[in-house]
Amino acid sequence: MSLIEINNLTKKYKSANESVLAVNDISLSIGQNEFVTLLGQSGSGKSTLLTMLGGLAEPTSGNIVVDGINIYELPSKSIADYRREYIGFVFQSFQLIPYLTVEENIFLPLSISDLTNPEQKQLVNQILEKVHLEKKGKRLINELSGGEQQRVAIARALVNDPLIILADEPTGNLDSKTSEEIMKIFCEFNDAEKTIVMVTHNTGFKKYSHRSIELSDGRLIN
Amino acid sequence: MKLYNISLQSLRRRKAKTFFLIIGLILSVASVVTLLTVSKNVNQSIAANLDEFGANIIITPKTDDISINYAGMSINNVSYNNNELHTNDVEKIRTIKNKDNISIVAPKLLSVEIINPANGTGDKNVLITGVRFNDEIRLKKWWNVTGKIPSKGNEVLIGSEVKKKLGLKLNEWLKIRDNDFIVSGILDATGSQEDVMIFMDLNESQKLLDKKDKVSLIEVAALCYDCPIEEIVQQTSSVLPGANVTPIKQTIESKMTAMHRFEHFSFGISAVILIISMLIVFTNVNASVTERTKEIGIFLAVGFRKSHVMQIILFEVITASLLAALIGYVIGFLASRFIIPVLTMDESTRIVYDYSLMIFSVGFSLAVGFIASIYPAVKATRLDPTTAFRSL
Ligand SMILES: Nc1ncnc2c1ncn2[C@@H]1O[C@H](COP(=O)(O)OP(=O)(O)O)[C@@H](O)[C@H]1O
Ligand SMILES: [Mg+2]
Repeated sequence: MSLIEINNLTKKYKSANESVLAVNDISLSIGQNEFVTLLGQSGSGKSTLLTMLGGLAEPTSGNIVVDGINIYELPSKSIADYRREYIGFVFQSFQLIPYLTVEENIFLPLSISDLTNPEQKQLVNQILEKVHLEKKGKRLINELSGGEQQRVAIARALVNDPLIILADEPTGNLDSKTSEEIMKIFCEFNDAEKTIVMVTHNTGFKKYSHRSIELSDGRLIN
Repeated sequence: MKLYNISLQSLRRRKAKTFFLIIGLILSVASVVTLLTVSKNVNQSIAANLDEFGANIIITPKTDDISINYAGMSINNVSYNNNELHTNDVEKIRTIKNKDNISIVAPKLLSVEIINPANGTGDKNVLITGVRFNDEIRLKKWWNVTGKIPSKGNEVLIGSEVKKKLGLKLNEWLKIRDNDFIVSGILDATGSQEDVMIFMDLNESQKLLDKKDKVSLIEVAALCYDCPIEEIVQQTSSVLPGANVTPIKQTIESKMTAMHRFEHFSFGISAVILIISMLIVFTNVNASVTERTKEIGIFLAVGFRKSHVMQIILFEVITASLLAALIGYVIGFLASRFIIPVLTMDESTRIVYDYSLMIFSVGFSLAVGFIASIYPAVKATRLDPTTAFRSL
C-alpha cells in the first residue's frame, strides 16, 4: 500500500464575485520513500495541493489518506499533531521566525514535544551538522544568506524526523549553484527514507526525482 | 526550548514593538495611578480645609424656649441657663465611634456683662465670650488680629465694633465684674457678631462669671469627606443626651457641592486619559496583525495546535503587562509625591497611598494588554494559514 492516497481531491476558492477551482478532482498515490516533483505553470494549483497534503487547508471534496489515516476526518487538534509527526514543510520564502536564532528556529517543532532540553539540543546539533550549519546556530536569521536560510528551514522541517517532506519551490529564491546544493540535501534525506513531494519550476530537477507530475488548471496532465 | 522561551525572545528581540506596547501601558497605568492618588489626596485636603473653615455642627443645651440664633451662633442659653453643658462634654465628643472625623471642638461660654474701660468712655453692655484660643483660631481661619491672640488669663481680644464704641486701644485696661483685663489684640471687622464681642480664655471666663465647668455652646468642625454628617451628629447626640446637636446644613451642602464638582472633574480627566492610552496601545498592536499572521502560519505549519499559539501570545502579553503595571505604578506613585504638595500647597501633607491601586494597575494593564493583543491574534488564527504564505 502506498503512503499517501489522494482521492478525487477538489478545492474551490470562493470570493465575492468569482470562484476558482484551484484543484480539480485529482487522484494520486505516492509510495513510501518516493521523491516526486510537481510541475506546472503559476496558478495551476500546485501550492494548494501541497497545503492540503500538509493538513493546512481543508479540501472542498475528496479525501487524503496518509499512513492509513483519513486526515480531514480528524479533529483539528489531531490534524496539528499529524502535521507535527508526519510532515516537514519547506517554503520558497523560507518562513523563518526573524526574532529567533538559527537554533531556536530549528527547536520550534520540538518545543511542544515531551523531550527534555538536552534531548532537544542533541537532535538540533545532529540536524545542524547534516545541513552544514553547525557553526551558525547562534546567529539571527537576517545574518544568513538565502541558501543558508533555506538550509535552516530544511533542518527545522526534519528535526523531529517526519516521514514526509513537502517543499514548495524551495529553490525559487536561490541562484543555481545554491539550488544544486539544496537539491543535494533533499536527495540525501530521500536516501535516508524520507518521502518527498517538491513543487518546482525547474524541469532540470526532474532528474533528482523518481517521478514527475504536471498540473494544469488544477488537473493532472498525462 | 519551551513555548515561553519563544514569547520571551519575541519581547526581547522585537524591541520597538515591545517598547511601544509597554510604553503605552506604562503611560496609562502611571497616569491613572497618579490621577487617582492625586485627586484622592487633594480632595481630602480640600475637604479637610473646607470642613475646618468654620463649624459644621453646633451643640447647645436642650431648652423649651425658641432659640435665639444669630449668624449661626445660638445664644438662647445666655439668660436661661438651667440646662447647661459642661467642660467634660467636650471630651465626650472625642469618644464617639467616628472620633477621627472630629477635627476641631471649640467650647464657648457666653454672657452679657457691663464693661468699664479704664479710659473713662463710660460703661457699656458687651457680650463676653470665653473660648479656648488654640481651637478658636483653627476654626476661625478668617480672623485677622492686630496685636496678639491672648495667652494669659488677664488678656482679652476685642471685636472691631467694641474697639470703636469703647474707644479702646491695644494694651489699654478695662474692668469686668471688678477684674482688670488688658487688650492684647483687636479683631479686624468680620461682618458678624464677632465684631461686638470680647473674647477671653474659657477658664478665666468660667471663674469670672462664677460658672465653673459650665459651657454655653460647643462648635464642632467634623471632617465629613468619607463619613456622612448625619452619623456624626447621631453619635454625638447619644453621648450628650442633654444637648441639641445640630448640623449646619447650609454650610455642609455648599461645601459638598464644591467637593463633588472637583471629584467629577478628576474622574472626567481619568476617563479621557484612559481612552487615549488605550487607543495608543490598540493602534500599535493592530499594526502588527500582518506580522502576527505570518508568524502564526509558521507555528501551525510546524505542527503547533491553536492552543500552543495562544499560549505563546498570552505569555507574551502577561509578561509585558505585568512589567508595565509595575513600572507604571512606581512612576505614578513617585509622580503623585511631587504633584500633591504642589496642588495642596502644603509641603507637610501626609500622602495617603491607596495600595489597592496596585491591584488595579495590574488588572488594568492586563485587561488593556489582553484586549489589544488577543483581538489581532484571534483574527490571525482564524485566517487560513495558506493565505499568510501566499502573500509572501
Ligand atoms: N487563498 C486563496 N484564495 C483565493 N484564491 C486562491 C487562494 N489560493 C490560491 N488561489 C487561487 O487558486 C489558484 C491556484 O493557486 P496556487 O495553488 O497558489 O497555484 P500555484 O502554486 O500552482 O501557482 C490560483 O488561481 C490562485 O489565484
Ligand atoms: Mg505556488
